Amino acid sequence: MAHIVLDKVTKSYAGGVTAVDAVDLEIRDGELMVLLGPSGCGKSTTLRMIAGLETISSGDLYIDGERVNEKDPRDRDLAIVFQNYALYPHMNVARNLGFGLKLRRVPPAEIERRVQETARMLGIEALLKRRPAQLSGGQRQRVALGRALVRQPRGFLLDEPLSNLDAQLRTTMRLELIKLHRQLGATIIHVTHDQLEAMTMGERICIMDGGKVVQVGPPADVYRNPASLFVAGFLASPPMNLLPAAVVGSDGGGLAVRVGATTLPLPEEYLQAYAGCRDRSVVLGVRPEDLHEAAPALPQITVAANAVEMVGPEVILVGTPEGLETEASARLSRAFRAEPGDRISLGVDMRQIHLFDPATGLAVPRPDLGFEPHRR
Amino acid sequence: MIKRAGPHFILILFSASLLLPLLWVLRTSLTNKVSAYRIPPEWTEPIADNYIAIFTDQPFGTFFLNSLIVAVGSTAIALPLATMLAYAFCRFNTGGMPLRLTVLASQMLPPVILVLPLFSIFLTVGLINNHLGLMLAHVTINLPFLAWMLISFFEGDARIVEEAARVEGATRLQAFLFVAVPMAAPGIVAAGLLGLILSWNEFLYALVLSGKATATLPIGLSALETHRGVEIAMLAAATMFSITPVFVLLPFLKRYLIKGLALGAVK
Ligand SMILES: Nc1ncnc2c1ncn2[C@@H]1O[C@H](COP(=O)(O)OP(=O)(O)OP(=O)(O)O)[C@@H](O)[C@H]1O
Ligand SMILES: [Mg+2]
Repeated sequence: MAHIVLDKVTKSYAGGVTAVDAVDLEIRDGELMVLLGPSGCGKSTTLRMIAGLETISSGDLYIDGERVNEKDPRDRDLAIVFQNYALYPHMNVARNLGFGLKLRRVPPAEIERRVQETARMLGIEALLKRRPAQLSGGQRQRVALGRALVRQPRGFLLDEPLSNLDAQLRTTMRLELIKLHRQLGATIIHVTHDQLEAMTMGERICIMDGGKVVQVGPPADVYRNPASLFVAGFLASPPMNLLPAAVVGSDGGGLAVRVGATTLPLPEEYLQAYAGCRDRSVVLGVRPEDLHEAAPALPQITVAANAVEMVGPEVILVGTPEGLETEASARLSRAFRAEPGDRISLGVDMRQIHLFDPATGLAVPRPDLGFEPHRR
Repeated sequence: MIKRAGPHFILILFSASLLLPLLWVLRTSLTNKVSAYRIPPEWTEPIADNYIAIFTDQPFGTFFLNSLIVAVGSTAIALPLATMLAYAFCRFNTGGMPLRLTVLASQMLPPVILVLPLFSIFLTVGLINNHLGLMLAHVTINLPFLAWMLISFFEGDARIVEEAARVEGATRLQAFLFVAVPMAAPGIVAAGLLGLILSWNEFLYALVLSGKATATLPIGLSALETHRGVEIAMLAAATMFSITPVFVLLPFLKRYLIKGLALGAVK
């Protein structure tokens, strides 16, 4: 299996577009790495450079320690699954699966055996005689995946393979991909712009923006400690609330965050980390689930309710904090009821907040206290 | 009914303007020279004499064979070249827009301008009155058209499917042969048919470059306008005979063109 290293890999197009900008990334052997980012951030280009379909403008690409910048795609021993599957329209499913093996001069009997085996694994045995045009989207997706699997390459590159499927099928296939990854222990780079897919699938996720890598880490880490405003605002739905604020000194030598008309004391553990922000403006980041109704033990913030959305297991309250223009949302228990215009007092779990420097957009580093449910 | 009468009337007029001359030729081919010119036209028993005469009195069998050899030969040479040319334009942007336009521009000149230099070159290398010579001359006509026609068949999805093949282990040549060409097959067939028809109907190059032994059907037809007058009935029979293959091929051309275009639209 493959160990893939990108060292300052850059792709610039004629006309001055830099699609991928000095990306440093290591994908460990057997790892499922998810590339996540908004449309046009360079995910596909990165993947295509790894596959060898796009030349690398500068920087180095290593697979298993060998520099492969100039290597032909066919010699890299990787498989790629495209967003629109790119099956061979003139071949039936069996020949689609076997084509790569045939090119590599595998004996016909062996091809037949491996095609059957792969078809069985993906549940597409009944489709082997059909042409791609006679398949549904989900079936095509399986065939495309099968075509990648049958060759047993050292790594898989998946470019948004689930994005053409309906929500239900996407969930099923997502689980199947995870299962497959466990079974094969294969190195997988999975590209998506769906943050939920990234959070559930990736062992690590690499978040890209404007051709640059902005943060790499396990989903839980990235979620708990976003490195920048971009990551904070991109992950999760609804995303982290980002409110203009200022750090001020409080009586007794402590620090507090002033958000609009509210002053929220910072926990003692953060005093040292945030000392440098004193008397400066910051962006306060609070996840919607760290705002609690009826939590008198926590510092309170008052919001004017704008909308109350019931979403199955919970209620999303969208409101404007006192003295601010910016809206904030809170995930509250499904028992919560309010009318637009109501003033609601919410407790802020200050141990879970983040401060960002508005000038650089970067998070101000602070110790991670871990997660423990707040005391009501 | 009333509503559609207008369009139908126009269509009927249009069809008539296309069909009537053809039907007139057909009827002329089945009469003799004398009654062919009689006005108003009179009913005569259809006769096959003219169709026999073009093979006995005139060498239309040879003309037909010559046309066939030249059409098939020139298409067989032009089609693979056009396929590769279109592919190179499409994938590697060979020569950019200037080259693409130059290739087509050669066909925008009046053919007379090109045929004379070609004649003097062929005279030097001994390709006058020679099947191969006329084939090559027709290749110069066909190649630009066929290449332009094929460009669109290599665009779109074929590009990504080929990339998939290259990652799977195909060389560029294998990707071209096993993926790009089969995917463009309907277009290639249509281009081939177009090439056959273009060559079959070509007159000027054939007139200048061929001789007695290699004259094609269009030359044979023109030869029926002799100094003793036009052999109108025989000319009509020969014309019917000459255009029959084109009529047979046209429906296929249409079918493959549509098939090719539809295939391009399917993901
Ligand atoms: N051939 C090209 N010439 C110039 N710019 C290009 C070319 N191909 C891609 N780009 C640009 O490179 C950037 C990155 O494109 P890329 O396809 O990698 O984005 P992506 O992250 O995969 O987006 P999506 O989620 O929409 O697929 C885009 O801004 C795009 O416009
Ligand atoms: Mg993409």
